[in-house]
Amino acid sequence: MKALGRYVTLFVLLCRVSLMRQMAYRPHFFLMIFGKVIRMVLLLLFFQAVFFKVEALGQWTFDQVLLLFATFHMVDYLMSITFQRNLSYHLPALIQNGNLDSRMILPVNLLFLSSLESIDMMDLVSFIPCLGLLAYALYRLGFAFTGLQALMYGLLLMNALMFLFAVVLIIATISFWTTQSAGLGRIFDDLTRIGRYPLDIFEGFWKFLFIYVLPLALIAQAPSQALLGSLDPGFALYAFGCSTLLVVLAVGFWKMGLRAYSSTSS
Amino acid sequence: MSRPCNTSEAPLAVTARHLSKTYWFYEKEPGLSGAVKALFKGRKTVVRAVQDIDFRLHTGEVVGFIGPNGAGKTTTLKMLAGILFPSGGTLDVLGHIPHRREKEFLKKIAFVAGQRNRLFWDLPAEEYFQFCKIVYEIPDEHYFAAKTRLVEMAGIGDTLAVPQRKLSAGQRKRCELVAALLHDPRVIFLDEPTNALDLVNARKLREFIRAKAKAGNHGIILTSHNMADIGEVCDRIVIINAGQIAFDGSLSSMYRRFATKKQIKILFNGPWSRDLVARLGELTIVDPHEAVLEVEPAETARVAAHICSNFPIRDITIIEAPIERIIEAIYAQRQK
Repeated sequence: MKALGRYVTLFVLLCRVSLMRQMAYRPHFFLMIFGKVIRMVLLLLFFQAVFFKVEALGQWTFDQVLLLFATFHMVDYLMSITFQRNLSYHLPALIQNGNLDSRMILPVNLLFLSSLESIDMMDLVSFIPCLGLLAYALYRLGFAFTGLQALMYGLLLMNALMFLFAVVLIIATISFWTTQSAGLGRIFDDLTRIGRYPLDIFEGFWKFLFIYVLPLALIAQAPSQALLGSLDPGFALYAFGCSTLLVVLAVGFWKMGLRAYSSTSS
Repeated sequence: MSRPCNTSEAPLAVTARHLSKTYWFYEKEPGLSGAVKALFKGRKTVVRAVQDIDFRLHTGEVVGFIGPNGAGKTTTLKMLAGILFPSGGTLDVLGHIPHRREKEFLKKIAFVAGQRNRLFWDLPAEEYFQFCKIVYEIPDEHYFAAKTRLVEMAGIGDTLAVPQRKLSAGQRKRCELVAALLHDPRVIFLDEPTNALDLVNARKLREFIRAKAKAGNHGIILTSHNMADIGEVCDRIVIINAGQIAFDGSLSSMYRRFATKKQIKILFNGPWSRDLVARLGELTIVDPHEAVLEVEPAETARVAAHICSNFPIRDITIIEAPIERIIEAIYAQRQK
């Protein structure tokens, strides 16, 4: 419990420091807020443009897709606020320039620090409208879900974050050998973006690929289906098992990466 | 100026046996064609950065690692601090195996690299000190006492509220040292601490390290190319060359073992014959009134007496050969 308290305190401090660093340059701070608002507005406009012309995607109604869309972006923003930039972009840079040294000598879990060193508080600006969109989708769906379905929704959201964390960590860890992984990070960005659409719209091989092999369906589709009461319990188990296994593999791979770390000369 | 060294009775802080580190990388030919070729057929090059090193550090001891660029000093230091995983041999630092990076081990050490800045670039040092307080779990009373003492010792009291990017390299370095020492580490690794500092800041930093060494029962290892760091701060020096230890001992023992010549510095107060003085040893003219003569140690007294009796002198001083010359000779000897 004491260790947990220490890490919570450290997380709060990292949030505070990140916010102070973002506020250190006033024009940059206001431009960043402006940029985040524009990003969210453009997404909503795109969504509206598509769905005012198309009533359904596959077997998904407009309201259900709205839920899926809000869920995907909640996961996406949570990931972006916390570990994604740290692991995809900051960690490879630290490995490349040898500045990981100064993190390695701190008596704190290096994976925790590498994942959460820079918390992007600015993305909260985009995250809050996402919550509003989710509430709107639920309202249109008539709040027709049980407590158990809501609980499953929450658990599957966390599971999606675990899955994405593991994928990002595996890609970032490759940097210990290549000392560059920004390119791979971009593949991740492009691939996960597919998860914002109902994957039922794909057919045959691609459907199998995106649901089971690269289980993008567990990012937003599975939690949304859980809330809508249409989730196959077998797939729920598959989703939890898949994320747990991937996290174990990713952490093992990370430890191998640390052994291979060669730093840079002084 | 070497401080008295009486640490052989003190407990061991670091023990390295047969320590080795091997790297590999792919060689790339210059130009675009070289880069394309390397994508498909790179030539693997293996570098034995550290080879079979045995080394000890007692608590209370300040040891300087010196050696040419690429000798393996920093690699050794990084293995001792747990940053790099050794390829071979065993390491014990304060009863811990460094590369396991256990929390209790990391709380007992500090590692400061001269070229790196770990403090929050856009924020004042005070913010990073707070970060250290939480990370190292430093109790309030100890934190405030240590901070006050170290800030005063480092002379950075007036810079604590200034963002790091606005400070000079010397001020930033001293802030970093304070941050690294707040948790009162028992073993301190300093990698080229005076690198990129001007003479005044380098001197302040040396005074800071010396004061820290005197204040507590710490073990300190520093790497440096700056001989003033070594001469003024270290009890013992370890010369590393091509990944191997070429010498391990006190400065005085190094002089005894390797100094083949002594220097006689002569200040003249009248006309003197360059040819006559040159017959006594290897002559270097500093200016028309000053010269330095290098002679064999056994000949020093006789030559000095001869100069005093036969030349118009204002002052004469016998000094050891510069440490740089001795180290150059050791490197050269190892290369042969």
